[in-house]
Amino acid sequence: MARMKFLCDAERCIECNGCVTACKNEHELPWGVNRRRVVTINDGVPGEKSISVSCMHCSDAPCMAVCPTDCFYKTEEGVVLHNKDACIGCGYCFFACPFGAPQFPNGPAAFGTRGKMDKCTFCAGGPEENGSKAEYEKYGSNRISEGKLPACAEMCATKALLAGDAPVISDIFRDRALRRGKAGDAAWGWTTAYGKPEQAAPVAKEGAK
Amino acid sequence: MTTSNFASLLGRWLIAICLMLAWSLPLRAADAPATQTSSQTQAERQQTQPGNNAPMWREVRQDKAHFTNNPGNEAGVLIQSGGDAWRHLRNGSVTHYGGWLVVLVAAAILIFYMIKGPLTNHDPLTGKLIQRFPRYERVVHWITAGTFIVLALTGLAILFGKHVLMPVIGHSMFGYLMVLGKNVHNFIGPLFAFSTLAMILIWARDNVWQNIDALWISKAGGLLSGEHVPSGRFNFGEKTWFWFGVTILGLTVAVSGLILDFPNFGQGRADMQLASLVHAIAAIAMLVLAFGHIYMGTIGVHGAMDSMKTGYVDETWAREHHEEWYKDVKAGKSGHPQG
Repeated sequence: MARMKFLCDAERCIECNGCVTACKNEHELPWGVNRRRVVTINDGVPGEKSISVSCMHCSDAPCMAVCPTDCFYKTEEGVVLHNKDACIGCGYCFFACPFGAPQFPNGPAAFGTRGKMDKCTFCAGGPEENGSKAEYEKYGSNRISEGKLPACAEMCATKALLAGDAPVISDIFRDRALRRGKAGDAAWGWTTAYGKPEQAAPVAKEGAK
Repeated sequence: MTTSNFASLLGRWLIAICLMLAWSLPLRAADAPATQTSSQTQAERQQTQPGNNAPMWREVRQDKAHFTNNPGNEAGVLIQSGGDAWRHLRNGSVTHYGGWLVVLVAAAILIFYMIKGPLTNHDPLTGKLIQRFPRYERVVHWITAGTFIVLALTGLAILFGKHVLMPVIGHSMFGYLMVLGKNVHNFIGPLFAFSTLAMILIWARDNVWQNIDALWISKAGGLLSGEHVPSGRFNFGEKTWFWFGVTILGLTVAVSGLILDFPNFGQGRADMQLASLVHAIAAIAMLVLAFGHIYMGTIGVHGAMDSMKTGYVDETWAREHHEEWYKDVKAGKSGHPQG
């Protein structure tokens, strides 16, 4: 079974916030709710890096562990989803989450009336019937059931944000890391010059190990 | 020295030098970044080792806010670390030990009642009543008591409900009840805070420790012997509940609860995690002490419930439970501690 993951390549993210906007538009999120955000470390100085972050769909999800009503569940693909009918808006998932993923439509309101928690669904909807109106109104669109990628990753112009089965996207990332930062001869390798397909070298190396 | 001996000696020295280098190099690497800011080292690291982002990732794990266009509170913090400790304390020690403490104290009181039974009056009732609690004291007491019971039930459900109640009534029923329960808890909480404050103000004077309390302590309140120990308007047991239970724990629960209930003053997640732990621990401690108070005020002592229901007690009850206060009232004094 697939294990769905997000992976953001800090070398590629250009802080365009396209993923944030694509997500907000795709799910028609209310004012103040951003399921995804871009954080820039060392902003404006050499070595600046930007990372797009949302729910990371943890294996041992802290939000699931602390929820007083156990409103979270995990799909077979490892996507962490929640049932808004059982959500009481206590904010505990937000206190526990390392990534600040849980969002609340009313924000930090008096008497703790935050409203039902909203977070990234990996574009996989919620407990309602796939593609139903009720599902769309509560959780946004269900692209996974249509065989599509999450909107943020599909939108990403530099392909910094990858979404999909963990082994597949980590292979893409590993392949990038092997070639990264090389110029001139090193970018192509002598193998190309002497007629071997360029991809063959790393694959053969991996097989030898 | 033969050639082979020399070769083996050289080989040993080479191995020794390699090991020394291997030990010393990581130490020097670990020492280096402490003297510089991490942005400088990331900038420098990029020069020496392109693609090595270790200094940047170290910075990410320091709970600092970085730049973001998201206007949310703490949105610039990429990863917060406190949530993990909070999760393990709340789901671990607090739920585990707190839960068993509540069950065991309730069981201990029940066993005490079954063995010793209630405290009764030694002499027959006279039928003559004297006032113990004026109306305003009773109103404040019952507002505090009523809100406390509602808060205790909903609070217990928030911490233990998914382990105890949810398997019984089912997931969706529990979910709908908890939506109500959480809002009741959040809206009634501030009322409890106000009435607790009012209670502290009206009874602080009567709960100041007096010389006569030493007698009560030495006889353990007559709780085990059944003997009636003289005391002022409140005995030492009631004073302990007042200062430790109502004042210290009550105010702790109220303040931590208000921090959680009104997140709209810019509190961060670290504040909320701390407030939540303080709130849970203080509330459980207050609840087990309240078990004792509720027991003594209802089935534990004959006549105690009437004093808070009607405001009046029988003269026999007054003499046997609060002899100094009874003498003061009969002598025409206020009944409050003098001097």
